Amino acid sequence: MKKLSFILYILLFSIALTSCVDEEQYDNTPQGNFEALWKILDEHYCFFDYKKAEYGLDWNEVYRRYQPQFRGSMTRTQQFEVLANMLSELRDGHVNLYSAFDVGRNWSWHENFPANYSDTLIRKYLGTDYRIAAGMQYRILDDNIGYLRSTTFSNELGEGNLDEIFYYLAPCRGLILDLRNNSGGLVTSAEQLAARFTNEERLVGYMQHKTGRGHNDFSAMEEQRLKPSNGIRWQKKVVVLTNRSVFSAANEFVKYMKCCPQVIVVGDRTGGGAGLPFTSEIPCGWTVRFSACPMYDRDRNSTEFGIAPDHAVALKDDDVVNGYDTLIEYARKEISR
Amino acid sequence: MKNGKKIVLSIVALCIAIVSQAQVAGDSIVLVGHLCGDPTVRSKMFAIGPAKILDTYLSAEQYSGIELRYVSQSVKPIRQGSWLQIVTHQGSFCSVSNRADNHNELVGMYQFQYAQHYVLRPSEQLRFEVGGAIGAHLGFLYNTLGGNNPVQVQAAIQLRPSAAASYVFPLFKRQSVVRYEVSAPLVGLMFSPNYGQSYYEIFGRGNYDRNIVPTTIASTPSLSHLLSLDFPISKKNPRTKLRIGYLGDYRQAKVNNLKYHHYSHLLVVGWTKSF
Repeated sequence: MKKLSFILYILLFSIALTSCVDEEQYDNTPQGNFEALWKILDEHYCFFDYKKAEYGLDWNEVYRRYQPQFRGSMTRTQQFEVLANMLSELRDGHVNLYSAFDVGRNWSWHENFPANYSDTLIRKYLGTDYRIAAGMQYRILDDNIGYLRSTTFSNELGEGNLDEIFYYLAPCRGLILDLRNNSGGLVTSAEQLAARFTNEERLVGYMQHKTGRGHNDFSAMEEQRLKPSNGIRWQKKVVVLTNRSVFSAANEFVKYMKCCPQVIVVGDRTGGGAGLPFTSEIPCGWTVRFSACPMYDRDRNSTEFGIAPDHAVALKDDDVVNGYDTLIEYARKEISR
Repeated sequence: MKNGKKIVLSIVALCIAIVSQAQVAGDSIVLVGHLCGDPTVRSKMFAIGPAKILDTYLSAEQYSGIELRYVSQSVKPIRQGSWLQIVTHQGSFCSVSNRADNHNELVGMYQFQYAQHYVLRPSEQLRFEVGGAIGAHLGFLYNTLGGNNPVQVQAAIQLRPSAAASYVFPLFKRQSVVRYEVSAPLVGLMFSPNYGQSYYEIFGRGNYDRNIVPTTIASTPSLSHLLSLDFPISKKNPRTKLRIGYLGDYRQAKVNNLKYHHYSHLLVVGWTKSF
């Protein structure tokens, strides 16, 4: 028995000493960086099946097409350009390649469409005596309609600040929440603001995460539920203004708001960006960001390519010339009806 | 989960049975630990050395750098000296960087281990110990890449078979001790996000998905060993000794399709006091 104990101990320690948990480390060469980048996306990106169905994306075909382009004589700028081109095949604003000299991106989801936004017009509506709180600008327009401009969700929102905003706007007949050009930020900030527009807990969507390296290795869909805020909650009509640059957490905000009562979404389809991004890196030190956790609306539809408005309204050139923002004026009429 | 509990209890019972069998006197082994009057030995050690870290949840790249560690250990005879109680506390800090040297990872870790060893003394100078330990560690691994996956919480509890051997001999006419101790996790529990699960989903939304994972030697093949030489600095005070040595701590895990390793090769300098 002593011999058996001795053998078991030796066996245990030998197993521990000789079993290696390791990951292939690619060479810091153009070919190595390409292989590493392709593999990171292959094993972690969450929209392959969805995008294959949407526009025929085949990541293995992308490998075959791009692999011959990488040669040892490439400069770092050439490497970066070709790697960024490969990532553009994913058509995803959450997919970026970061180097010290550039950011590889695909912004066709808003660059290929009208902006439906004019900074000059917004400054005309806001004036110079608008208020600023929680990183947002707000005022009461001359027809007693509140106007709240949210340009980003990058910062945490103070609950006290939000109380002050809605307390100030409380006498208004309705609220225009201008989300145009909001490219996202913290999902938690989007939830915080949306929580001001519901009096009861609501199912607003679903989210998943990957459980393995396969393209369809996913967890079950987990419910996303919006709980009402304990602070001041808005009880009147809300018109949310959107354009193609509404992306990521702002896209999520629109998804939440569409589940809330008395909310109308006016403008253009949002830019999408329904994948919570993770980051990794390749041997040369360039960082890659990619969509890792897909999110869906309450009907389990993907919002990766955007959310359609309730009322499709575009900024008209004539209105711009005359100093009117077509979307804001449309929203005012909707609230006044 | 029920089958998992049965397996864990069976392995624990096996460990206890293995240790119990060591109490049977053999022809060539003299169980005289309790007659030798082993003192309580308390050690304080500082360690420094290279570390290599891989955590595929944070990055596909392996990081290399330096580790600093403080180790406090108490070895105390119990049960009339036939057993030793060994309590070890370790606090460590690592700063490592990627191959391109443009991103860093920082690691902070506290480790605790409680072991009991049965003493086998084939001669006056030589002592073997065999037994088991409960170990736990709690810490973090932070990567400056940022994003939604910048940090890993490291938490685990394990049952660890452990063993040691020590030899007393004169070195420059002073009674010195060379000691080797080793342990490896057999079974345990550890925290891990699932493969592509964000901490926002776990802690912000409360979506649990295999985040407390049962582990075995197959999923966490790890080993920790310390080789040390204790040498009395002063003839007038032989109970206080200078300790130098090598601490090798090789932690690995392969759970939820994620891979992790942290290899530390540390030079140890410290002192021991016998009571």
